[in-house]
Amino acid sequence: MIELRELEVRYGKRRVLHGINLTLKRGESLSIVGESGGGKTTLGLSIIGLVEGTVRGEILFDGKNLVALAEKELKEIRWNRIAMVFQNVENALNPLYTVLDQVSEPIVAHKLGDRNEAKRRAGELLSMVNLPEGRFYAYPHQLSGGEKQRVLIAMALANDPDLIILDEPTTALDALTKVEIINLILTVCKERELTILLLTHDFYAASTLSDRMAVLYAGRIVEFGPTPALLSNPRHPYTRGLLRCYPSMTTTKDLQGIKGRMEFFDDGCPFHPRCTQSIEKCREGAPRLEEYDGRLIACHRGGIIPLLELRDLSKSFDSLKAVDSIDMTLYEGETLALVGESGSGKTTTAKLIMGIFEATEGRIYLERKQILGRDKSFYQRVQMIFQNPMEALCHLFSVREAVREPLDIQKQGNREQRESKVQHILEEVELPSSETFMNKYPHQLSQGEAQRVSIARALVLNPKLLIADEPTSALDASTQAKVVKLLLNLQEKRGIGMFFITHNLALARKISDRLAVMLRGTIVEEGPSSEIISNPLHPYTKDLLKAAPTLNSNVPIVPKTTSKKNEGLGCPYANRCDKAIEVCFNEKPQLRIFDSHRVACMNL
Amino acid sequence: MKIPEIGTYAISFLIILALIFLLPRLMPGDPLTAICGEEVLVVMTPELKAELMHRFALDAPLWKQFFVYLTAMMHGDFGYSYYYNAPVLEVIFEALPWTLLLVGSSLVLSTVLSIIIGIESGWRRGKITDKFLLTTTMILNGFPNFFIGIILLLLFAVYLGCLPLQGAKTPYSGLSGINSMLDIAQHLVLPLIALTLAQIPGSYLLMRNTMITTLKEPFVRTAKAKGLSEVAVRYKHAGRNAMLPIVTTTGVRVGTVVTGALFIEIIFSYPGVGLLSYNALLMRDYPILQGVFFIVAVFVILANFVVDLLYTKIDPRIGVNNAEYAH
Repeated sequence: MIELRELEVRYGKRRVLHGINLTLKRGESLSIVGESGGGKTTLGLSIIGLVEGTVRGEILFDGKNLVALAEKELKEIRWNRIAMVFQNVENALNPLYTVLDQVSEPIVAHKLGDRNEAKRRAGELLSMVNLPEGRFYAYPHQLSGGEKQRVLIAMALANDPDLIILDEPTTALDALTKVEIINLILTVCKERELTILLLTHDFYAASTLSDRMAVLYAGRIVEFGPTPALLSNPRHPYTRGLLRCYPSMTTTKDLQGIKGRMEFFDDGCPFHPRCTQSIEKCREGAPRLEEYDGRLIACHRGGIIPLLELRDLSKSFDSLKAVDSIDMTLYEGETLALVGESGSGKTTTAKLIMGIFEATEGRIYLERKQILGRDKSFYQRVQMIFQNPMEALCHLFSVREAVREPLDIQKQGNREQRESKVQHILEEVELPSSETFMNKYPHQLSQGEAQRVSIARALVLNPKLLIADEPTSALDASTQAKVVKLLLNLQEKRGIGMFFITHNLALARKISDRLAVMLRGTIVEEGPSSEIISNPLHPYTKDLLKAAPTLNSNVPIVPKTTSKKNEGLGCPYANRCDKAIEVCFNEKPQLRIFDSHRVACMNL
Repeated sequence: MKIPEIGTYAISFLIILALIFLLPRLMPGDPLTAICGEEVLVVMTPELKAELMHRFALDAPLWKQFFVYLTAMMHGDFGYSYYYNAPVLEVIFEALPWTLLLVGSSLVLSTVLSIIIGIESGWRRGKITDKFLLTTTMILNGFPNFFIGIILLLLFAVYLGCLPLQGAKTPYSGLSGINSMLDIAQHLVLPLIALTLAQIPGSYLLMRNTMITTLKEPFVRTAKAKGLSEVAVRYKHAGRNAMLPIVTTTGVRVGTVVTGALFIEIIFSYPGVGLLSYNALLMRDYPILQGVFFIVAVFVILANFVVDLLYTKIDPRIGVNNAEYAH
């Protein structure tokens, strides 16, 4: 029905839209999401030919190129074929005319009926959008925000268009009104078989109103694909950043922002100054929208890169399989929480990654390259922080020496440069960089300070991957909160991938993007944190969730270990699981995919 | 119209009354002369003086004088012009219709013209028509109205002789009906043009500016998107919204137009209130002057009141019916 080809819009020298290619078939719905100022409204306006800048490229509407069309012909298409529900800002409706007048106006103007006929039809439309009849003759200022939005929708439907462009139809509405409006749009569009182009920054509206979604950043489409897939598994760093900023009832991780501000670039990827995984190439040329795993992404790195991949990793100590062929992926800038009881093999996994233990079997990839040996450059990229900071820091080293040591080992810079790096990193972890503080020894520090010093020590080399083994479990609650916030802020700024080991599911929920539950050396369930928390599938995960701290006084009932012996042949949870059947004791369940989880359970 | 607004008008009315009352009494010299005009000295006898002193209660305290003054006003007694040998009100009412005709038609004409050229100019911002209009009105703005009046007078009445030189109608012509109206219209043309031209620049600039701002409003975009004709977008949507400030200033402008009419009437010997007050000033006919002040003030207040009423009709956001829809 409508096809945009290499659409480009300039306001003077500023290029607001850049090489936009989109196709929308009759009856389809497409949402364009992105921050305000990204060019969404310009895109909408260019389709109805009302953009003030210069337009290049083609907008094919039923085969006609709207860009080249004369004003007179455009006028015929406007509202008759393509209508727009404008953003409900102050004065989107003319303040001097009643709403009935304004809804009937396009009917009269396009000679689809005389004044009375138009009024009658406008009245029907207003009734259809549930505006009370007493309000038909009201002026816009006498209506509430929701009522004005209804009028704008009714107005757009006046001439029975084929394509409807919705510009932020739900912004500034309260929750219940928003749902009403969304339902209204859904019913109306289905009844009339309308094609929808939705421009919004509201993911909720986009998720309910569109089948496909395009993410627009600084005038370029950076990601494009089916709406549910994009929302559950964003592949472009900007899409992920946007989703992290969006508070919803399904996200569990703390809100994180996107560093920096939006700027328009003619060269290079528009997102590169804000992107935490940008490389030299990103600065030079703008990436084209290309297909990666059934998704269109405009990124030189092919979307968010997998930072750490564990493939069939195993470690045996004699007959004990401490880690039993585990398989996990940690993406750039994300947190993968590894949750499980003590002795489940979490720390062993960390040590395998760090090279403290040699893996019996399996492969580890860092930034898509297999780790074969670990030299100094490996430890520039990967660092670790430990559970007990007092023990992790050498008693003989002052704060300065402890933080500077990695730099000394890596022989980075001269003395002054190292010194200034140390000061800088101390400030970044919110510690004083004064001479007195830097001369302190570990025993003079509090627990929280000591853990920050060890974080500073780990980060001074600017690593990409941080392995954190219970980094807060030795700290009291207030210190823990501060350390966790610090880590999340550093992640937002530097795009650090965190491999976070903890037994505290409540904590893991707040800081992780993905969660893996480990039991007796195997992963029993893995998936996006929000999914695992809201819909746990494995009985062990369910029990862990039951046992996770809440503030009501109920003590949950957790299963006791049965007398039945678990030989280690079957499911690691078999002897505690109340749903265990015969097969659970004899056969080891494999990880299987359920929606977005992977679960290893016989009973599913 | 809400009660407090009527209160505002009442207060300004009272202040004007008090000023007109106080002015002659604060003038140096004999207050009696100041109240009755210098002409009274010609007919002044001790008896008359005593009578006048008594009538205006000039020997009584100020508050009592004010009371006497107010009572007289309420009976329609604005004093007596010894120059015209007639009551003040009678003299003024003879001149008033001409001024109302001149000022009223000039107000309407200048407002309508300013609105139209303001809309067209703002719509074509930066284009040749806009630049031409802007320059022309700027040049026009440099001339005072009496100068424009003199030029028009010389050009059309003296050199071309196609329009009458002075007055509001041909004296002793015995015309009636439609011919009389045509005669009046012919006499009105030049003073009306002079007065109107002087009014246009200010209103035009205001209209052009508000038009430019209004064109940026979202509802203008909505109107365009609806596929309306350009004229509908320009006048029905943008123009009508941009008109609002002009309507407000029209009330304020009444005062200035009346002052402007003073000069124009003198130049064209147009027998209105302006010419009357000019002559009264020359003759030191103070009662007439005070009467004129009062009448003009009343008309300015009335005009503002009418504009306020009109405004509620034009802009639905202002007015009483909001309460019906209040949430």
